[in-house]
Amino acid sequence: MRVVVADDAVLLREGLIRLLTEQGHEVVAAVGDGPSFVHAALTHNPDISIVDVRMPPSHTDEGLRAAVAVRAARPGTPILVLSQYVEVSYADDLLATVRSGGTTGARGAIGYLLKDRVADIAEFLETLERVAAGGTVLDPEVVAQLLVRRGARDPLEALTTREREVLALMAEGRTNTAIARQLVVSEGAVEKHVRNIFTKLALPPDEELNRRVLAVLAYLRT
Amino acid sequence: MPTARPPTVKDMTAITAPVTPASPATPATPEGHGGARMLRQLGVDTAYVLLGFPLAIIVFVLLVTGLSLGAGLLITLLGLPVLVATLFVARGFAEVERARMPAVLRQDRVGARYKTAGPDAGRWRRLLTPLTDLQAWLDVLHGIVRFPVSTATFSVVVTWWAAALGGLTYALWDWALPHSPDNSELPELLGFQDTAAVRITFYLAVGVVFAVTLPFVVRACALLEAWLAHAMLTGVASLRDQVAGLTSRAATAQAQTASAVSAEATALRRLERDIHDGPQQRLVRLSVDLGRAQQQIARDPEAARRTVDEALGQAREALDELRTLSRGIAPPILTDRGLTAAIAALAARNTVPVTLDLPELGRLNPLVEQTAYYTVAETLANVAKHSHARRCTVTVHVIDDRLNVWIADDGVGGAHLAKGHGLAGLTDRLHAAGGRLQVSSPAGGPTHVHAELPGQTEP
Repeated sequence: MRVVVADDAVLLREGLIRLLTEQGHEVVAAVGDGPSFVHAALTHNPDISIVDVRMPPSHTDEGLRAAVAVRAARPGTPILVLSQYVEVSYADDLLATVRSGGTTGARGAIGYLLKDRVADIAEFLETLERVAAGGTVLDPEVVAQLLVRRGARDPLEALTTREREVLALMAEGRTNTAIARQLVVSEGAVEKHVRNIFTKLALPPDEELNRRVLAVLAYLRT
Repeated sequence: MPTARPPTVKDMTAITAPVTPASPATPATPEGHGGARMLRQLGVDTAYVLLGFPLAIIVFVLLVTGLSLGAGLLITLLGLPVLVATLFVARGFAEVERARMPAVLRQDRVGARYKTAGPDAGRWRRLLTPLTDLQAWLDVLHGIVRFPVSTATFSVVVTWWAAALGGLTYALWDWALPHSPDNSELPELLGFQDTAAVRITFYLAVGVVFAVTLPFVVRACALLEAWLAHAMLTGVASLRDQVAGLTSRAATAQAQTASAVSAEATALRRLERDIHDGPQQRLVRLSVDLGRAQQQIARDPEAARRTVDEALGQAREALDELRTLSRGIAPPILTDRGLTAAIAALAARNTVPVTLDLPELGRLNPLVEQTAYYTVAETLANVAKHSHARRCTVTVHVIDDRLNVWIADDGVGGAHLAKGHGLAGLTDRLHAAGGRLQVSSPAGGPTHVHAELPGQTEP
């Protein structure tokens, strides 16, 4: 894949470039601030971009705003946002660009992860592929916050512990296969849990993965 | 200091002293609707001016006599006690004036301060101290200056009252006046006919004009006299009060700085310990593991792989701990998005469900944002750790330009502000930011925490 990397920390940026190159990807641009990223993403039209949230010039949520800007200029551009911290309100900003995608339908092509997750190389590379293919990937910590945020008034109370686990993994954007592997159960069991969850939450059942993720997220965010 | 808060926390005891104990001047204005108030003030002002005149005469006579006598006798030294006695006379009357002033000026009473000789001062020193007191001489000066002023205001007030009352009641006693042809009445001089009807109408009109202007004229006279007294009799004292106010404000600022330094020192010590106990240990362990893996790799690749796995785990833990720590120092979401978003994020992470009553606050002064954030963070951490609460609420409101944060839970209570407890550091933090903290946490619960901060919005 052709990749744009944006991170002002040279150490990590070089690490990422090395990792991606070793895996046979091509890094077409490596930049260190928000405006350069917007420019690079729109010029090179990469298969995926990896962006750090905190970057110059503002040293606040520069990367996040740049990602939102790129997605506004070119809806559906696949972007994976990395950060030392994950916050629900940042995830909200990113997911908002999915809804405004309009014609792209159930295409998410957005990911939001803690930087640490890169250390799990295999998982990280798989995430890249998923986002590039239009998937939606959220960090488990964001999903946990989404679940807590709902507090007491809760149809989620009706779910069993196992169903909650499955719901969380769905919200992270995982496939049934991945969920089954993670929970060490059969895929059939996962499918059954998923059906139960959708019934209990009164969501329309959907076999297509990305539509399912977005439906679950939309549910959790309201 | 406004103490508005919801009824649930009414029974709180204030733990820290308020920071600025400024007592605003309570106006002595009696409540009531306009007309009644004006009449009452007219009465007060009239009495003030009318009584002021005889007082002024007495003071003037006494002071002029005392001063001349004292000055004349100065060469015999007998003049000194006479002068001092005169000063005390002036002072006595000045006290009377200070007591009379507030009703007219609608201000709090300001006392004057006089120099007093120290308890171990000699007899001469005691005798002469009043002579070196600026306020004492100002009293004398006022006693003399007030005489012409008082004479003028007294005349004006008496004239206005007489004209108003006389004019309005003229119809009742016109018959009692002799109207001989050689008498020229005022209307007649102005070219009107000299008949009872014309006289009554004319004087009634004059009476009305004087009556309508009476409250204003009398007020002006009273104010003239009272401000003169105010300036000369309390000017020095209020100047001194102002200086004292500034000094105490400086002291408050100093206390704030001290609190800030103490809070910062404590926070730094804790940070150092946390880094040492947490990530530092993990990184050491990580490098040891990697070293082992390096050794193992040739001999036993499988063992090396396991060691590297462990090392990865250590690295992940170290990152987690570092993230928690830096969130504790300066949470990025607070810097990026302000207090509202940051508190919402805190609530989202808390293990005890939190109900938020949180307006969009916009950006506030960074210190206030940080302090409010830590208050909520620390308190919620305490709730999660110690309270056994099932739920809690965080309420934020701006009242009278001050930021109020309430955190309440339904837990077991027993939270303390004493040193060594989690909340102790908060008191310092709040103090440093010019705020205060109240905690009510009886054994058995519930716990209410109320923090109040100056809430100026970011310019």
